[in-house]
Parts: sequence; C-alpha cells; structure tokens
Amino acid sequence: MTLVQERPQYFEQPERRLTEIVPGPKYKGLLSYLTSTDHKQIGLNYMVTSMVMFFLAGAMAVLMRAQLAVPNNNFLSLETYNQLFTMHGTIMLFLFLGPFAFGTANYLVPIMIGAPDMAFPRFNAFSYWLFLGGCITINAGFLTSSGAADWGWFAYAPLTETIHSPGPGGDLWITGVGLALFSSMFTGINLIATVFCLRAPGMVMFRMPIFVWNQLITAFLVLLAFPVVTAAVALLWCDRHLGTHFYDPAGGGQPILWQNLFWFFGHPEVYILALPFFGMATEVIATFSRKPVFGYKGMVFATLSIGGLSMGVWAHHMYTTGAVLLPFFAILTLLISVPTGIKFFNWIGTMFRGSVRLDSPMLFALGFLICFLLGGFTGIMLAEPPLDFQLHDTYFVVAHFHYVLFGGSVFAAFAAIHYWFPKFTGRKLDERLAKVTFVLMFIGFNLTFFPQHDLGLRGMQRRIATYPPTAGWSFLNMLSSIGAFVLAFSMLPFLINVYVTLRSGKRVGPNPWDGMTLEWVTDSPPKEHNFEFIPPIRSERPVWDLNHPEHSTLPHGRHARELRRGVDDILPERAKALAARAGQGDGYNGGGPPGRAGNGGHGGNGGDGGGTNGGPGGDGDGARESDGGP
Amino acid sequence: MARRARFTVVAVHELLLAVIRWGSPNGVTQQDNQVYRLWDLTYYIAIPLGAIVVGLIVWCVFRYRERPGDERIPRQIQYHIPLEVFYTVVPIILVVVIFVYTYQAEDTEDNVAPGPSLVVRVDAFQWGWSFIYPTGYEVTGSVAEEPNIDSTNLPVLTLPAGETVQINLFSEDVNHSFYVPAFLFKRDAIQGINNSFDVNIDPSVAGQRFIGECTQFCGTYHPYMRFWVQVISKNQFSGWLSSHHGLTTTAAEG
Repeated sequence: MTLVQERPQYFEQPERRLTEIVPGPKYKGLLSYLTSTDHKQIGLNYMVTSMVMFFLAGAMAVLMRAQLAVPNNNFLSLETYNQLFTMHGTIMLFLFLGPFAFGTANYLVPIMIGAPDMAFPRFNAFSYWLFLGGCITINAGFLTSSGAADWGWFAYAPLTETIHSPGPGGDLWITGVGLALFSSMFTGINLIATVFCLRAPGMVMFRMPIFVWNQLITAFLVLLAFPVVTAAVALLWCDRHLGTHFYDPAGGGQPILWQNLFWFFGHPEVYILALPFFGMATEVIATFSRKPVFGYKGMVFATLSIGGLSMGVWAHHMYTTGAVLLPFFAILTLLISVPTGIKFFNWIGTMFRGSVRLDSPMLFALGFLICFLLGGFTGIMLAEPPLDFQLHDTYFVVAHFHYVLFGGSVFAAFAAIHYWFPKFTGRKLDERLAKVTFVLMFIGFNLTFFPQHDLGLRGMQRRIATYPPTAGWSFLNMLSSIGAFVLAFSMLPFLINVYVTLRSGKRVGPNPWDGMTLEWVTDSPPKEHNFEFIPPIRSERPVWDLNHPEHSTLPHGRHARELRRGVDDILPERAKALAARAGQGDGYNGGGPPGRAGNGGHGGNGGDGGGTNGGPGGDGDGARESDGGP
Repeated sequence: MARRARFTVVAVHELLLAVIRWGSPNGVTQQDNQVYRLWDLTYYIAIPLGAIVVGLIVWCVFRYRERPGDERIPRQIQYHIPLEVFYTVVPIILVVVIFVYTYQAEDTEDNVAPGPSLVVRVDAFQWGWSFIYPTGYEVTGSVAEEPNIDSTNLPVLTLPAGETVQINLFSEDVNHSFYVPAFLFKRDAIQGINNSFDVNIDPSVAGQRFIGECTQFCGTYHPYMRFWVQVISKNQFSGWLSSHHGLTTTAAEG
C-alpha cells in the first residue's frame, strides 16, 4: 500500500504510467491458471468453477424432479433423495450464487473503478483456492460409504448430532462449508479495500456504477453475517467430535440456538445472493435503454437500507418455532419491500422514454424483472406470520425462493454472462442461440415453479421424497417435473453457444454494446493491469460521456431551473456548434480540471453545480461553461 | 338497487377469491378466519400493484423499444424528485396498513385461552406421533419397518368440534412440525421450547377427518410422518373419551 508520505516522490516522476509492468515469470495455459494473481483470471476461475457447480446441482434437481413426477415413486431411495436436496441447496447457495457474484466482482469491480487489480492480489488467489477446496470437500461426501450430508442446507440441530447423522458426509459438509465461508469473507475484505483505496482520480463514491455499490454493500453484509455462521459450524463440529453440547438437548444445549445463529447469517445471505445480481441487471438495463440509471442516488440508498434491514429479519424463518417476537420481525421484513419497490421503479424509470434494445442481455434482465417481482410479492405474503403459519415449509416457500434466486439471481447472472462475455473473451455470443436459451429458460422456469405455489397451498410439505396418490398433488407435480426438464434442456443451447463462440465467435472491439462504464473503454479482454488510459470521470458513466459528449446527463432540480433561466435560450445553435467542436478533442485535455469546477458558469452558482449528480461530463462541460459565463 | 350493487360486489369478490385461492383448503377452525381476511387484504393490495408494475414494464419495453434506423439518443433524464418521493411514501403506507392487519390477525390466531375445554399433549418423535389425553388415554403411531406412503392406517388425533382445544406440542428427539393443512396452521416441535396453541373446530365439519403432516425435515422417513385429525361432535366426544379411559392404542403405519 502507498503511504501518504511517499506521495510527493510519486508525483515528481515526469510521465508515470497508470500501471507499472512488474517483471516476472509469465506462464501460459494451466500454469497461468494455477499461479495467477490477476483479478481477471481469478474472476474467471470463480465464474467457471461456480458454473460447473451450478450444472452439478441442477442435475441433482432434475433427479429430484424425476422422483417427484409421479406419486409413490421408487426412482430414488429416501436416503439418496435426502442427500440430493441437501447438496442441491448447499451447492447452489454456498458454491454457485455467492461465488459467481464474487467472480463478477473480482473481474469487474477493479475495472469499473479504474483500478489495475484488487487491493490484495495474493489474498485474492488464496480465497479462490479456499473456495475450490470447499467445492471438492463438500462434494466428496458422495464418495463416502454412507453418502453426503443429508440434513438439509439449513442443518437444523439436533438432527446434525452424531446420534442422528453419524456419517462422515456431515463432517465433510461442515469442513467444506467452513472453507467456502472463509473464502467469501476474504473476498469481502478484499473488495472493501479495493473500493475504498483504489478508485481512479475523479471516481468519487457517488460516481461508482450501481454494480460496484451493490458489491460493496454485499461485501459488508458478508463481513457481518459470515463470521457468525462460521462460529456456528465450528461449534457444531465440537458437538460432533469433542463431546460438547451447544445444540444437543441431551446435555442441556439449545437446538433453537442453531436456528438463531444460522438464520442470522442465512437472511443476510439471501441478500448477498441477490444484491450483486440487482447490480448486474441495473447495468444491463441502463445500457440497453441508453439512459442513465434513473434515481441513481435513491437506488444506492435503497440498497443500503436493504442491507441494513436484512440484518434484523433473520427470525422470519422461525415464525413457526413459537420462540420469536413476531411483530418485530414482521414489520422489518415487510419494510424491506419498500426499498425493493424503489429499485423496481428505478428500473422502470430507466427504461421509460429510453431507447430499449432487446438484445439477449436485456431479455434476460427483463425475465429477471418479471420473475423477481412475483418472488417479491410471495415474499410479502410469507412475511405475514398468520400466512406463514399456513405456508411455512410447504412448496409455496420453494416456489417463492426459486422465483427470487432463480428467476431473480440466475436470470440476472445469465444477463451478465451475455452482456460481459465480449469483455471476458473478446467474442460476442451468438444472438440467435442466446434468444433460444432465454425463451426455453423462461418457459421452463415458470412451468417448473409456478405450479409449486399451488402445491404449497394444497399442503404439500417440503423435503419429502414421495407422496401418496390420494393427496391430489399428482398433476401439478408432473407439470413441475416437465418444466424442470425443459429448464435443464435450455442449458444445451447455452453451452453450445459458449463452445462455438469461444472457437469461432465474432470478434468485437472494446465496446460492442455502447456500454457506459469504465470496463468498456479498455480492450476486450483487458490487458494485464487493465488500462492504457482512463477518460475523465465526471459522472457514473465516463465512457458514455466520452462517446456522447453532447448527451451527458441532464441537470435536475435547482440546477435545471437556473440553466433554463440563464442559458437555455442561447443553447440550441451555439451548444450544438460548441459540442461539435469539443467532440474533436481527445477527451483527456479538453475538460479542464475534473470535478465540480466545470459547472461554475451557471448563474453564478459557484462550485455547487451538481457535479456529483452526473453533471455534464467530458467536453460538453467546457462547452456549456463558455456559454453561460459572463 | 343498492342491494343489487352490493350483491354484485360480493359476487365479484367471491369469484375473484375463488380463483385466487387455488387449491388452498377452506379453513375449518375459528382461528382461520383471520388467515383468510389477511389473504384477501394481501391480494387486494398485491394484485393491482403487481398489474401496475408488470404493465409499466411491458409498456416501456414496447413503447420505447428501439426502432430500426432511428439513431436518436433519448433525453438523459436521471432524477425526478417528486416522483421518487411518491414511490417511496406510497409503499410505506401500504406496508403500515398490511402490518396493522397482520398484527391483529396474528394476535388473535396465537391467543391461548385461559380455560380450555380440553388439553391434548402431542409428542412428535422419529418417526411418528403420540397424542395423550387428560384421562391418560394415549394414541401412538409410528412408521413401520417398510412403510408404504399409500397407507391410511395412521395415528388418529380425535378432537371435539365447537370447543376450544389447547394443544401442547413436544418433541422427543429432533425438530418436527405439527401441520394440518385444513387448519391453515402449523407449529414446530423443538426440544427446549414449550409450544401451545388453541384450535376451535367448526361444528359443521363434525364427522370428517383431515390429514396432518410433519413439515420440518426430521430424517429419513420424514414424508411418512403423517396422521389423521378425526373431528367428532361435542356430545360424542365426552362419551368417546370416557370409553377409552386409561387405554393405550398403538398403530404402525403401512
């Protein structure tokens, strides 16, 4: 880290490159994968590994749906089914969604804030290898004679005590989850340090893309929530092997303690699995509407309040235990719908009067909006304790969280993959195959999970490997299973698309989508240490300001009124001429000093000129200044 | 005229709710009225709101989609403070309304009356139930060696209709949950927590029986941990209970 005292020397060098080339061995292929500390390589490692985990857990889901397709089925044994749903949940939550989000964070956050790498590159590599160790350890349970853990991803005590679950699969689960948790905590620390310490000049907090904001808030949630559950699984290990009785009622322990500790992590966790994906969807929607994110600051505050509230709602998973203060957790949970609603109106406001291009990333983002909306509404129902008494631990809950985590997060993840694929690889995924993927995924997803709402209302409980034909659940289960097969099949065009594109896809330049944030100004894929040059950062979308200097974000409120009073009448002709002239500048030298000074000309408003609100950026700035000035 | 209008409103309301309630059973206890009132309120808020939001999304996509050849760049608007205040304040008001009704409903549903006509102790264990009456009569049923999910030979919890019954719920080992879909209610059985709740079953369903389930994952035979709730009228019940004084019935499923 650079100490403050060193800085004068740092500036004395006449022409200093933004990044320094560090001489050292350069590896290729497998060796580069094994030794890299480059944030982009590590980000890709995370994303690819977590996608492998996604397909693995998806295959488990297909097996489970095959078992449930007809009543009284014997396709899977009870033990196998229990292992499968445990591992499906564990992998999806600990090894896919979280690490995938961290993978995108690793790759994109440094580039979006104009940094050459993460703050602690070796630490970063270490957390990836911990995560990989976690993946292997958790799945190794299947290789033991008694199978993998079979106590659900929530691992409620006292089912986890050795007397009820003696096998080594459970111990591998504890160890693997522990590794994954440490990996996430280290990534969280790294992300916070990166965002606080490595932002490029001009990149003030309120000019960070929403994606970066969401990743930052997620990292804080990780640091608040994960240590608790790490301690909880350590205590569980002690219970199993050292004869302690933290959760074992036989020795005076409290089973409910586990639930409190677990959900104190578990609820922030679902926002950890959602907020980064909101960020991805936000970037996609803004780019494909060709407008700035509507209500940018409101959205940041909404994300902050979601993060804050999420720390105080854990017991809404425990309404039916009879051991929690229902009204307190009900009101806090209901309140989360307010900032979430704000986000929805921001997304709609971004599209409103925009120029909406329906390319594949935008389609996935729209799928995200629709599915996540439904998941949000069922969330409000589950937040009301009397309704939860009916619905808790039924398929209604299964439908709810799949609408949030699959319809929400996974659709946003696919939007992100299709959107940033050109940046990651230099090649663009085939649009036609991508649209086929989307249509199949959307149909398959809704066919799988919509009927499950009704199954829940009809009283079908979760985590059952079989059900009687007399229960009246057969038709809906069959429908759901057909949907699951369609959903699994929809991965085929996606995988073909990735394979074909990597071999022979269309090569694209740095900015194929007319993107707005800093990653689109550098090569695809970016070189080591990311940037040859960084454009002036005057708003949260410096690349847009660079490419469309005459279309920077419109001032609003008082600034807009002053502008109308003072300069609007002379703007049309002269502004056009000046903007045209300014457009010829190279973007580095034209704009004068960065930041607020550029707005000083408007009606004598001094330095208070809306600079942080995405005030006019780049060279348009200079043009207006000469316009309005005396 | 007013009566006819009211009839229409009621008819539309009922029709709408019949569609929306899907396969949800009609509650059979007094405590359930609360649940359906809350469902109605939630639907009346959620459906219009959802329709507005979906409508706005779809409208924005179609109305403002990029037309081929049109290279114009939209006006770069970012803020509209009154609008932002509006869509923050209105949801807060809705949330407060929902919360007030939720609080009332939950308070009534969870209320345990001081002098119940009958207290039944329910013990859940891996994998079965036992129901113990104040007279000492105990019904126990557990999963057989090779259980059959089709089995209807399940432990039976016999309850009187039209009386307040207090159920005390205990677990003998891992966590379980007592769930009767027709009651629209469940409560967990966890060691270290003494859970009690009231049911007051509607007299009109006397003579019927309802399926009950364990909803908290409790190990290998979790799906088989089912039971019947047999409702009989108040008069029959006292005779039934005294005829089973001090007996123990054990049933094995399947």
